[in-house]
Amino acid sequence: MSDATRGEPLLAVEDLSVVFRTDKERIHAIDDVTFDIQAGETVGLVGESGSGKSVTARSILGLVDEPGRIESGSIYFRGEDLTQVGWEGARGDIAIVFQDPSGSLNPVYTVGNQIREALRMHQGLTGSAARDEAVDLLETVGISDAEKRVNAYPSEFSGGMRQRAVIATALACDPDLLVCDEPTTALDVTIQAQILDVLGDLQREEDLSILFITHDMGVISEVADRVNVMYAGEVVERAPADRLFSDPAHPYTRGLLASIPSVRDSDDQLLTIEGEVPTSNEAPTSCRFASRCPKAFDECTQVHPDHIDLGGGQSAACLLFEDELNSPVTPESGLPGAADAGESARTDGGEE
Amino acid sequence: MTTAQRQHPDTSQAVRDGLRRNPRPAVVWAAFGAGLLALQIGALLEFGGSAALDTVRAFNAIDAVPLTVGTEALAGFEQAAAEIPRLLSRQTIPNNGLYSVESEEWVVGPVYYNGQEWVGTFLGLEPATAWALRAVLVYAYAFAGLAWLWTGYRWFRRYYRVADWTPRDDVVDRLRSHYWGLFGLFVVFIFLTTVLFGPALAPTTNQASNVDPYSYETQYWDAETESVETTAVGTANSQSASSGSTNVGLFSYDDYGRYHPFGTLPGGQDLFTFIMYGARLSLSIGLVAVGLSTFIAAAFAMASAYYKGRVDLGLILLSDSIMALPSLLLIIMLSVIFGGTWLANIYSGGLLLSLVFVATGWPGLWRAIRGPTLQTTEREWVDAARAFGLKPRTIMRKHVFPYIVGYLLVYGSMSLGGVIIGIAGLSYLGLGVNPPTPEWGRAIGLGQPYIGTPSWHISIVPGVLITIVVIGFNALGDGVRDAIDPKSDTETTDAKGVGRGGGA
Repeated sequence: MSDATRGEPLLAVEDLSVVFRTDKERIHAIDDVTFDIQAGETVGLVGESGSGKSVTARSILGLVDEPGRIESGSIYFRGEDLTQVGWEGARGDIAIVFQDPSGSLNPVYTVGNQIREALRMHQGLTGSAARDEAVDLLETVGISDAEKRVNAYPSEFSGGMRQRAVIATALACDPDLLVCDEPTTALDVTIQAQILDVLGDLQREEDLSILFITHDMGVISEVADRVNVMYAGEVVERAPADRLFSDPAHPYTRGLLASIPSVRDSDDQLLTIEGEVPTSNEAPTSCRFASRCPKAFDECTQVHPDHIDLGGGQSAACLLFEDELNSPVTPESGLPGAADAGESARTDGGEE
Repeated sequence: MTTAQRQHPDTSQAVRDGLRRNPRPAVVWAAFGAGLLALQIGALLEFGGSAALDTVRAFNAIDAVPLTVGTEALAGFEQAAAEIPRLLSRQTIPNNGLYSVESEEWVVGPVYYNGQEWVGTFLGLEPATAWALRAVLVYAYAFAGLAWLWTGYRWFRRYYRVADWTPRDDVVDRLRSHYWGLFGLFVVFIFLTTVLFGPALAPTTNQASNVDPYSYETQYWDAETESVETTAVGTANSQSASSGSTNVGLFSYDDYGRYHPFGTLPGGQDLFTFIMYGARLSLSIGLVAVGLSTFIAAAFAMASAYYKGRVDLGLILLSDSIMALPSLLLIIMLSVIFGGTWLANIYSGGLLLSLVFVATGWPGLWRAIRGPTLQTTEREWVDAARAFGLKPRTIMRKHVFPYIVGYLLVYGSMSLGGVIIGIAGLSYLGLGVNPPTPEWGRAIGLGQPYIGTPSWHISIVPGVLITIVVIGFNALGDGVRDAIDPKSDTETTDAKGVGRGGGA
């Protein structure tokens, strides 16, 4: 993150930690998460289930509920720390699209009614002006016959149309930042592609920043400019999207990429990462991926890795890249003990 | 429905367009409604006037407030409204005569038997037939009103509503095929009709029969002297008591030619009249008590579900503390403590009773709806609403409340039965409503010594009626619950996932 040409980011999350306290234990949902989003940019947040993606999204919107709490860190939106000044001023400027489209629309109100509610709140539109705007928004997100659909109930919509309607509701707030929390996971692939198109168009037309959260590396490769890979509540690697796919640095990222099913290499057995994401009861003191990491060595269970700049906007939190513990290693020179066949695919350099 | 319409400017516009295009059903419906209303407009105005008058008087009765408000204008309005003829009244279809000593005029009648035939009753029918005719007309009128409302809903759905389907349609349709719920609805409707038309249904008035019997006179045929005699209602009552040795049982006349469908009380008052007026009191106290406690329960449930944490814990502690107290003792204690204050004078102590039941009743209701409310606040649309900045109060009203309305209806209608039993229980113990205001529990208490005698009806009739009414409210509650949440009844899952969508 050494790019000095960028201006002040629209959103900057710094060292954010969220802890859920129950009677028995403290669960560290996310630890020291840091990333930022520039205006007009799409930033991806990928990781397995339980890696803390959704908690991160909810923190940004100030939706962390009891028994969860933001323990430390800051969320700067347009330069103001929301954890200090509160979310009231940012309401509507940050909008969210949830995973389950049937859950985010209230079934007892018509779709139009819910869009108008947001229009009234954030654009001061009422009456027929709000109605016309709601129809416009539904057309923008690609709902045909919007004039009639605006009076329909969510249950009369298909899954894809519901998600379009949810996006329309989010747009009604006229946001600067759209947080998409697995917006296409509940949809089939053709609908998924359509929704991604809608989001792409919107971003171009409205200069919208998007935080795109998903576990699907394929989707990320299509939408994101930059990607943050999360594991067990920590960001373990961040890189520009194309670089992440060509030169994954962190062993976890490599594992994720290797586990994408491919149509072409159907004879290969699908690679998996053994084990599951651990739940942490305390702040990290070692690498949380060590127990599942094929390249783990002794220090991994004793030292907590910090992010190491690998150049080109890429960084990884992995001891493999730590000079003092290893001979200098960069992605270009290959990883120590690298056995992956994919290593040969490294072509571009990480030069400044 | 109203909330939805307020936020649907385009929808109400579409309804207006529909009315312009096809006004016929609306006109027919409105004309029929106007016809029904015209038959009873006098009663409606009189009721409005007397309700306003009662409110002002109750206000004046509060010692704590030094201000008094004049009642002359309201009293005049009520008087004028009382003069308007109407279909369902003692004056239109008389069965017994009543002469007011105070105002020196016949309230009803004169009605008497002259040795050969009845004079002054409706079409010369005997009082039992005249009374039965009036009662049948009352219920027929009420069911016509119900049919009118139902037709209005059907026609609105068919001709004017924009949406082909709303989540509420399923609720209504499910209730229509729920026979136990329909039975409950039928009983509750009969009860409500009884409450609403109590004075017209009763063979005599509460004032004349029970409260002030010596200010009224009635005429009767004296077989010994072979002449029509006049006597005070009080004197007649004392000769018509049901107390074992003497008895005026079900569906019988007393010696003064007065008809008693449910017999008389030990003091000779008409039991049917007593029950009609008592139903009013039970229902008003019950509605106020249940209404207030559901309001408190809903507000607290939404607060604890939305804010969770300390708010929730505090409410749990408070409600558990109240529920840990023996409720009957608490009710009795509160009734006694506040018995001497101005609160106890309002509505013969009815308001105090309601508040006592609110104080002890809300924790149970709150407990019952807290779970469903918590579930609702976990839904994503609540988060979505929070994310785009709706105020907590708006979120609770718009996005949580519609989902707990159903539960409120169910638990409310069920606890209404409990409150009616509770009021009867307190009155039976002599702690409830001050005499002579009629109350079902007091009738049961009064009849207790005569339960093994021919005068068994005094306790049994109100007892059976309470049972039926409470069963009715519970059945309605069951029906509404199954209609709102079909999963509670059967295992069939609602594919559209709107089963919990309650009607606001």
